[in-house]
Amino acid sequence: MRRKAVLAFGVLLLGLGLSQGPFRARLEAAIQGGGPRFAQVMLSQDKAQALCTQYRDRLPADLVPKFLEEQKALIKYPASGKLMGDWRNGEKVFTDPKRGNCYACHAGDPKEVAHGTMGPSLTGYGQRGQSEAVVRYTYEKIYNAWAFVPCSLMYRGGVHGLFTPEETADLVAFLLDPNSPINRR
Amino acid sequence: MSVRKKRLILLAGVAFGALAGLAAYTQQSKPLDPFEEAMRQRQMYLETFGVLPGDLFVEEGKELFYRKGPSGKTLEECDFGKGKGVLEGAYALLPKYFPDTGRVEDLETRVYTCMQRVQGFKPEEIKRDEVRAITTYIASFSSKAKIQVVPKHPQELAMYNLGRELWYTRAGARDMSCAVCHDQHAGQRVRLSPVRSPRQGLGNEWPAYRFEEDKLYTMEDRIDFCYESIAIPKPEFYSDVHIALTLYMLAEATKAGHSFEELPFFTR
Ligand code: HEC
Ligand code: HEC
Repeated sequence: MRRKAVLAFGVLLLGLGLSQGPFRARLEAAIQGGGPRFAQVMLSQDKAQALCTQYRDRLPADLVPKFLEEQKALIKYPASGKLMGDWRNGEKVFTDPKRGNCYACHAGDPKEVAHGTMGPSLTGYGQRGQSEAVVRYTYEKIYNAWAFVPCSLMYRGGVHGLFTPEETADLVAFLLDPNSPINRR
Repeated sequence: MSVRKKRLILLAGVAFGALAGLAAYTQQSKPLDPFEEAMRQRQMYLETFGVLPGDLFVEEGKELFYRKGPSGKTLEECDFGKGKGVLEGAYALLPKYFPDTGRVEDLETRVYTCMQRVQGFKPEEIKRDEVRAITTYIASFSSKAKIQVVPKHPQELAMYNLGRELWYTRAGARDMSCAVCHDQHAGQRVRLSPVRSPRQGLGNEWPAYRFEEDKLYTMEDRIDFCYESIAIPKPEFYSDVHIALTLYMLAEATKAGHSFEELPFFTR
C-alpha cells in the first residue's frame, strides 16, 4: 500500500520533473540507463527526499515548519502505547546492519570499539532520565529523525519500515534503561 | 602457468592471511588503524608471494590488451584519449568526450566500446573480469599521475552537471546521497572507515585490490559498493550514472590538485 503511494508520488514528481525542462529529462534518461532496479529506487523519491535534493540538504527557513509537521505525521506508535520496551532486543536491532545499523554512525556500548563518528556518541544517553518528554523525543527521533532535523544524515528508519514501532520502543529502552550496556559503567 | 591460474593460487593463500588479520582485529580492544592494517597486509603479500595481487591483474590485462579480437585487431588500435596505442597518462584524463562514439566515456566504458567497435566482439562476449583487468593494465600507466579531468566539451559539461545532481540525490530506504557522507561528514568515520570528499582526493586510488573483499575494484565497482551499502541497487556497468559520478568526483579532485596513488592501489 505504502509502496504504491510512494510510487504514485514518484510518478507525480517525474511528471513535474519533465515539465522542468531538458536537464531533468536528461537526468531521468541517465537514471533509466542505470537499469530498471536502480531507476525504480532513484525515481521514487518521496517529497521530503526530493526537497532535500533540490536544496542540497539546506532547506530555506520558510519551508522548515511544514516539513517538520509532515514528518511528525508519519510517526506511528506501538498499539500498546508503551514507548519503552525491552533493551535486550533493542540492542539486537541497534547492532543489526539490516535494521538499526546504529554503530555505523554512533558510539554506544563502550565495549564496541568499531563505531562510527558521524553522529553524536550515545554512550551514557540514559543520563537524561526517563521523563515522558525524554522518552517521547527519543522514540520520535529514532522513528523519524527528519521530524527534528530536516535532511539529517540519520535516516528515517521507522518510516521506511527498517524496524517496527515495537522495535523502536526496544531501541528507546536500549538508550534509556539504566541496565543497558550504553548506561552501565 | 597462466596468469589466471597464478592469480587463483595467490588469492587462495591470501584469503587465509586476511582471515588471520580479521581474527586479530576482533580480539583487540583498540580498533586497528585501517591504513596501518592495509600497509601491514601489503607487506605480508610482498614477503610471502613476492608480488601484489593488483600486479597480477596488470599482467592479465596486458595479455588481453594484445589479444586479437574477431576483427584481427588488438587494443593497440584503440584511442584512449591521447592517440592510438598511447597509454602513458591516458587514464588521468578520463572521463572525456570521444568523437568516434559521440559519448563521454570513462576508461572502463572506453575499453568496453573499443572491444566492440575496434575488435569486433559482441557485447555478450565481453566478460566483466576482462574489462577489469584491461582497465587495471591501462590505469597502471597513470600511477601517481596528476589527475587532469577538466570538463570543456559541451557533453563533458553536461555530464559534470549530471554527476553533481546524482551526487546530491537522496533516495532509497536509507535516505542517503553521496554528498551527505562524502561532503557534509567528510573526515568522520562510518564504523572504522574514514570518509573523504572529492576535494580531499576521493577516488584517486582505483583500480585497487581490496584485501578485505579479496577482489579487484575499479572505480565503477567502488561506486557500486557504496550504492549497495545505502540500499540502492547498483546501476549497470558502463552506464552514464557511473561515468557522470566519476567525472564529477575527479573534476573536483583535479581542482584541488590531487594525484593518483600508486595504481593499482592496495587497500582495505
Ligand atoms: C548514517 C548515520 C547515522 C545512523 C546510521 C544513525 N544515526 Fe542517529 N544521528 C546521526 C546524526 C548525524 C545525528 C545528529 C543530527 C540529528 O539529530 O539528526 C543523530 C542523532 C541521533 C539522536 C539524537 C541525539 C541527541 O542528543 O538528541 C539519537 C537518539 C540517535 N541519533 C539514535 C540513533 C539510533 C538508535 C540509530 C539506529 C537505529 C541511529 N541513530 C542511526 C547519524 C546517524
Ligand atoms: C553512509 C555514508 C556513505 C554514503 C552515502 C556514500 N559513501 Fe562512499 N564511502 C563511504 C565509506 C565508509 C567508504 C570507505 C572509506 C574507506 O574505507 O576508505 C566510502 C568509499 C567511497 C569511495 C572510495 C574511497 C576513496 O577514498 O577513493 C568512493 C569513490 C565512494 N565512496 C563514492 C561514493 C559515491 C559516488 C556515493 C554515492 C552514490 C557514495 N560514495 C555514498 C561512505 C559512504
